[in-house]
Amino acid sequence: MAEPVREEPRPAGLGGGPRGGMGGGARWLQPVVRAKDRRGTMARLWASFGVERRRIFLVFGLVLLDCAILLAGPWLIGRCVDAMVPGPIAPPIAFAAALGALLLSYGLDAALVVAQGWLMAGASQEIVKSLRKELFGKLQRLPVSLFDSWSHGDLMSRLSNDVDNVSSTIAQSTTQLVSTLLTIAGSFALMLVLSPLLTLAALVTVPLVFLLTRTVSRRTRILFKRQQAALGALNGHIEETISGIDVIKAFGREEAAIGDFDGLSEELRVIGTRAQVWSGYIMPLMNVINNLGFAAVAAVGGVLAVKGLVTIGAIASFISYSRQFSRPLNDLANTYNTLQTALAGAERVFEVMDQAEEAPDRPGAVKISGGAVRISGGDGRTGGIRGIRGEVEFEGVSFGYKSDRPVLRDVSFEAREGSVTALVGPTGAGKTTIVNLLARFYDTGAGSIRIDGRDLRDYVRDDLRRIFGIVLQDSYLFSGSIRENVLYGKPWASEAEMARAVAAANAASFIDRLPRGYDSVLTEGGSPLSEGQRQLLALARAILADPAILILDEATSSVDTRTELHIQAAMIKLMEGRTSFIIAHRLSTIRNADNILVLEGGRIVESGSHDALMAEGGLYHRMYSSQR
Amino acid sequence: MQERDNRFLLPYIRSNARAFAAAIAFLSLEAACDLLQPTIMSRVIDQGVAKRDLSIVLSLGLTMLAVTAVGAIGATMRNIISSRVSQRFGASLRGDLYRRIQGYAFSELDRFEKASLVTRLTNDVTQVQNFANGLMRIFVKAPLLAMGGIVMAVLLDPAMSLVLVAVVPVVALLIAASLRTSFPFYRRIQGSLDKVNGVMREYLSGVRVVKAFNRFDYEEARFAGANEELSASMRRAMRVMALFSPAISLSVNLGICAVLWLGHRRVGAGGMRVGQVVAFVNYMTQILGSLMMLSFIFNMFVRAKASAERIGELFATAAPLSAPVSATGRLPGGSGGAGRGGVAFEEVWFRYEGAKEAALRGLSFSCPPGTSLGIIGSTGSGKTSLVSLIPRFYDASEGRVLVDGRDVRSMDPAELRARIALVPQRSVLFTGSVLENIRWGKSGASVEEAEVAARAAAAHDFISSFPEGYGTQVGRGGLALSGGQRQRISIARALVRKPSILILDDSTSAVDAVTEARIRLALRDASAGATVFLIAQRISSVRECDLVLVLDEGKVAGLGSHEELLADCEVYRDIQRSQAGIAEAHHG
Repeated sequence: MAEPVREEPRPAGLGGGPRGGMGGGARWLQPVVRAKDRRGTMARLWASFGVERRRIFLVFGLVLLDCAILLAGPWLIGRCVDAMVPGPIAPPIAFAAALGALLLSYGLDAALVVAQGWLMAGASQEIVKSLRKELFGKLQRLPVSLFDSWSHGDLMSRLSNDVDNVSSTIAQSTTQLVSTLLTIAGSFALMLVLSPLLTLAALVTVPLVFLLTRTVSRRTRILFKRQQAALGALNGHIEETISGIDVIKAFGREEAAIGDFDGLSEELRVIGTRAQVWSGYIMPLMNVINNLGFAAVAAVGGVLAVKGLVTIGAIASFISYSRQFSRPLNDLANTYNTLQTALAGAERVFEVMDQAEEAPDRPGAVKISGGAVRISGGDGRTGGIRGIRGEVEFEGVSFGYKSDRPVLRDVSFEAREGSVTALVGPTGAGKTTIVNLLARFYDTGAGSIRIDGRDLRDYVRDDLRRIFGIVLQDSYLFSGSIRENVLYGKPWASEAEMARAVAAANAASFIDRLPRGYDSVLTEGGSPLSEGQRQLLALARAILADPAILILDEATSSVDTRTELHIQAAMIKLMEGRTSFIIAHRLSTIRNADNILVLEGGRIVESGSHDALMAEGGLYHRMYSSQR
Repeated sequence: MQERDNRFLLPYIRSNARAFAAAIAFLSLEAACDLLQPTIMSRVIDQGVAKRDLSIVLSLGLTMLAVTAVGAIGATMRNIISSRVSQRFGASLRGDLYRRIQGYAFSELDRFEKASLVTRLTNDVTQVQNFANGLMRIFVKAPLLAMGGIVMAVLLDPAMSLVLVAVVPVVALLIAASLRTSFPFYRRIQGSLDKVNGVMREYLSGVRVVKAFNRFDYEEARFAGANEELSASMRRAMRVMALFSPAISLSVNLGICAVLWLGHRRVGAGGMRVGQVVAFVNYMTQILGSLMMLSFIFNMFVRAKASAERIGELFATAAPLSAPVSATGRLPGGSGGAGRGGVAFEEVWFRYEGAKEAALRGLSFSCPPGTSLGIIGSTGSGKTSLVSLIPRFYDASEGRVLVDGRDVRSMDPAELRARIALVPQRSVLFTGSVLENIRWGKSGASVEEAEVAARAAAAHDFISSFPEGYGTQVGRGGLALSGGQRQRISIARALVRKPSILILDDSTSAVDAVTEARIRLALRDASAGATVFLIAQRISSVRECDLVLVLDEGKVAGLGSHEELLADCEVYRDIQRSQAGIAEAHHG
């Protein structure tokens, strides 16, 4: 993903946030292995399940019932076996009853499992859907500053991977956990009922199991963590070198990239192998321990049977139960680990939810009538300018993306209704920052910004943004047809209106040349159009939206000058009666602005008309002359 | 098609065949030990417990432990081998794929979204690797256990194993049905997932536009649609799949009931011992377990197959630009940067794959070594396409591109590109320090060289103003630079290369005019001797070039010095007027 080109330096991390700093490498790719606050996250997650909790309770109920039925299985088989033993104590009816009960329990088990699956599918999907929806809704209320500083890759992986993780794992693991615990408890109880002495023999192995799991898992946890880190580093390298592959090829750096890749890949292989080998020790060793338990049970059982204290059927049932008792112990460890990962994922999701939102509108914030009409759709043709004259005033505005690095220092100016203000100055002077503040992408530190004499913060934010038409240097287009992109700012516009806007932006000719015209589909980021063509489309989009205040931030930097000349007329028409702000490096573009503000180092160093500034012979004069 | 796409896996299978065979051998040992257990257990009951003979119980118990220990050794060995093999397999597959992608020509890169290339290199490779690992763990063990269980059951009591004849086909049918049902579901889920992620990714990149136009309702509706689709298809898939595993266990369980019933009758008739019935039931349970595992395996297989196909697609993509077969690739005047850098186009036509119209139509011009050529023309006139032909990013559809008199198609792209430096329109920097990024242009460049290049690109001043100077980290996680700063570092990176051909593709668009003038001046010294191609929007940027090429809809509209063009090129005069005249138009 190409990073958008921007004017001013930005903070490189979430100030003070939990992932602040973002130092080095590809840390964002590494999943946090464990939730930091397990209990809190769990409670929150549970709360977020909302109405689905009822369905989940129902599933738990079914799981409970199913466990009981499954526990009856071995016991019933034991009864059947006992009934087979030739002897006077076995009336044929006992066998028939036991077998009948067994059949019934198997049938019930199947039905219960189907019902569980059915309910859980509905509940878990409903939960994830609403979680995703809530997250996406949250994105709307987050300030632009967050998107500027938070790696998109990291956000994406939270929104997709982590949410999916939460869905699939929480749903499955919790039921599994419940049923496992029940099976263990139930098996244990039944073992005790069958024979307390045999139970004691079976329990001999339990401490061994715990010892083994703890030793190995302590080892594997560290290894898996390192594996995730190695994987993160490798994925980071892949991301970067595939995104920048054009440049790599141009410079013939393929070999170097492959070399780095091989190093990282080898590291991952070595650690991955170790992690896998270690975690693979558990199962076979567990088998040995289990069979040790079995041998103990058989020996003790043999003695007891010899003394006539237990029946053969009871020993058969007992063996089944002792297996059911020890096997879930392994599962339990696995389930617990998956649950941990899912909880860590949930925590990462909640971290997004917890980000500070854009400050809410102040009480009594003013609504802007023209804009409100638009969103209700349909007949809002009268446009967004009603109710706003477009007088803009900056008074003593200072601002920095990081508090220790001011980008604007005490900036004051006024733009009369319908006037054209140009912002010029060297790279990094603070031009785009002024735009960011005006559109309330960021809120000012010191000073105040007023539109029609009212502080920006006293307007309803959504209404306020609607009065601006902003064309940025990085003309972002969405995947979809050209038509959808142009109509983005005014979906209800007629075909004729759209055609007029496109013509005014001088985009009609290249659109006509495309095989499918207005229905040509653009991919994410706008290909297959050239940089300049993308800017023309963005311009058409703004022209169609018909805003009260127009902001053009290097809107035509990649458009050739002849085309620019053609659009100039349209732009001048567009600016008529609208307060406009233009940022341009090409100074010829802004010669005729009513007021030119020359910025340097975050201050306004000169201001006035072109002629006045030329006469002054200052920075503007130097810049202008150098372009001639 | 799919058959061919998966053929890329063959060499890996071949090179790992022995280790794989060893893993399977140990796996069989493990499975055999697992299979012996119920038989031993039945003896414990029949010969020990039933006959109340404690010594037999103990000796059989010890046998059982020994068998388990052997099984554990088998399992451990198998685990070590399979971990190493699958990791090695994954690493080499990933490496080969990465190499392959790095070797793609630009026309091939255009065919795939970069995000999709990344997913294939990461997720899809991992999927296939997991499958390979699983193959050596449970995937082979499950069928072995199932088959072994059946064999042991038949040996135990041939008559009773008739029950298996009824149960096994039913289960096989169920597994087949679940596979047939699940594959389309997986594909559909993958598709809806792509859509959800697509909307999110777009929102993140275009957040300013969404906010500026206040179109959140629209985005939310779009998202809600994709979200609903995804959860609906997931729900449907989960529900359908939830039917199969209970159905499988139910059929096996009914089999167990049948065994018990038959056992009851035959024990009563004296044809069978109780321990044998217990063992038979145990084998049935084991068969059930492995069949469930088998159905899980097939599901994994379906998923891995989808990934393997996606990887295979990349391997199957046409071979990269072929290096010359005939020529040795040696350039006149020695190797590396010693060539002089003259460039000529002869009747060059070029059309992008799938494009309706040609981007370049019959271009001819020549640039002697050491000259500078300015290229100017309207948006979409083919400026970038023209310069992409010189380093062989693309090959001309018709006509020839010559460097030092030789057709570039007869040269090795690597050697050709070693002599060329390019500053692209969108500047890409890599994670690392500023110094590393500059030296990236020429491995082994000294710090002094890097600084000289940075000065020429007017980047030294702002770099020095950073607290950490040239050591400042940029790229992901580093200091975010402004567009102009990135462009200047990218220029320095090209200059440090001391190329014989330097291509600047509108590379000062985000730099202010004063700085641009400074760069232009410094460039003249820094690039002395190099042939320079300079794409620009402004006449002022190209007027000092030795030659200016005016492009119009892929054709040469004028070629000559600034003065000559002013005298006799209408399009050029038009551009000149447009730049002087933007101001006048405003007055009108």
